[in-house]
Amino acid sequence: MNDPTIRRVLIVFGLAAVAVLLIATVTVRNLNREAASSDWVNHTHAVLSELQSVSANLRAGEASLRTFVFGGGRTDRLATRDAFDRLEEHVGVLQALMRNEAQSAQADNIATLVGRRLEFANSILKENPAPGDADTVAKLARDNGLAAIAEIERAIAKLRDEQMTLLAERDRLSVIHAQSTRWTVWTGVAVNFLLLAGAVWLIRDDIAARKRVAAVLAEANDQLEVKVRERTQELATANEHLAAENLERRWANEALEHQIHYNQVIVNSINDAVFVLTKSLNISRINPAVVHLTGYDAPQLVNRPLNSIVHLASDSATPHEQLFDPILQALKEGRDLRDLPAETEDRLKRRNRVTLTVFPLQDGAKVVGGIAIVRPLHPLTSAS
Amino acid sequence: MNSHILIVDDEAPIREMLRLALTRRGYRVTDVASAFEVESAVRHDPPDLIVSDLQLEDSDGLAMIAQLKKSHPNVPVLLLTGVFLDPEVVHGTLGNQITAYLHKTASLSKIMEEIDRLVREKQA
Repeated sequence: MNDPTIRRVLIVFGLAAVAVLLIATVTVRNLNREAASSDWVNHTHAVLSELQSVSANLRAGEASLRTFVFGGGRTDRLATRDAFDRLEEHVGVLQALMRNEAQSAQADNIATLVGRRLEFANSILKENPAPGDADTVAKLARDNGLAAIAEIERAIAKLRDEQMTLLAERDRLSVIHAQSTRWTVWTGVAVNFLLLAGAVWLIRDDIAARKRVAAVLAEANDQLEVKVRERTQELATANEHLAAENLERRWANEALEHQIHYNQVIVNSINDAVFVLTKSLNISRINPAVVHLTGYDAPQLVNRPLNSIVHLASDSATPHEQLFDPILQALKEGRDLRDLPAETEDRLKRRNRVTLTVFPLQDGAKVVGGIAIVRPLHPLTSAS
Repeated sequence: MNSHILIVDDEAPIREMLRLALTRRGYRVTDVASAFEVESAVRHDPPDLIVSDLQLEDSDGLAMIAQLKKSHPNVPVLLLTGVFLDPEVVHGTLGNQITAYLHKTASLSKIMEEIDRLVREKQA
């Protein structure tokens, strides 16, 4: 119910239902009026018919009475009696048909006038005179019958005119009701058609709007999928790149470790004692031959000065070299010292004659240390 | 059909990394750890290129290559080793046995480029 379109459509259908209800109410009311009017018209026609019958039987009775007085026939007497009986009966029906006091008064007036004529006729019929009886003829001559009949006819005509007027009024109202019914029905149909058209328009508009929203959503979804695919591709590419970098790094580490190990194997395989020296001639690394030569383990030698283990032979030193450490000087100058006579002192304080060769360790043009190679002059007994 | 590379190296991590890198580039890879396995591997599935170390556990790589060249003279060989070799030695003395030489400290991407080049030359 929160959907505005559904709410509007329901309102439209509600209005259409109200319009239909209104049409039905008005139509039923008019139909009821028509039915009532039809009853009244039938009643009016019945009144008019009774008035006609009263008039006809009055005339027939008066005519039969005169024929009977002058002719004296039994048939005329019966005809007179029959006509006046029917007259009495129609007057009674006429009185019964009256629906208001004014009409009843008029009908009563007619009944009174007719009653007088009936009373006069009955008085003659009761005497049952012989044909052409002078007294009866004289009585009939004295009777002001025509005037009485004329008065009754006027009363009947007045009542008939009133009924005709009412009938005309009813016809006019009936036409108005029929027009009202037609107008109401067609107006209602038109209103309902407009409301239904409005509902259709609302539904179509809503469907179109929903289609537009669905299209926008689908497009957004497509764009999102494209972005997701692009992003996924980027991530996959980045992942491949990272994996390649990682593999490259692993390869570099492995190659470096392999190289270090290989170099170490080479150095360790040399039978000559090899010392790696700092720029200040402290021992930073040795090979296993040094351990064999000196009897010291690597931890005992590392960071010790070289001259605590290896001493140059004093007879080979020049005066200048005696003042300055020739090895330190050679390293500073980037020179090699080859096969210098020297001695080593092992862990047991034994001295061994050796030759010492020193190479500067250069990183480009810069001397970063040195390599000292000590080669015994005689076969050694292991000091370790 | 993807080109077939035979890796001969006694170090498992080296073989594993080379196999991974070559497989990513679309090569079909066989790897063996000893000279003993090379002959049967070559007979079973002849390679388009052999990538071999110099020092193997059971043999000298150069001897293995010399032996292999007798039966498969047209198979190019990339010598990938931790031993630094003199370029003159490589082109002169070893030129008839190996097609190219790279030190193991070369980057993996450079090694892959060299393998691509050798395979292209073999196919051409």
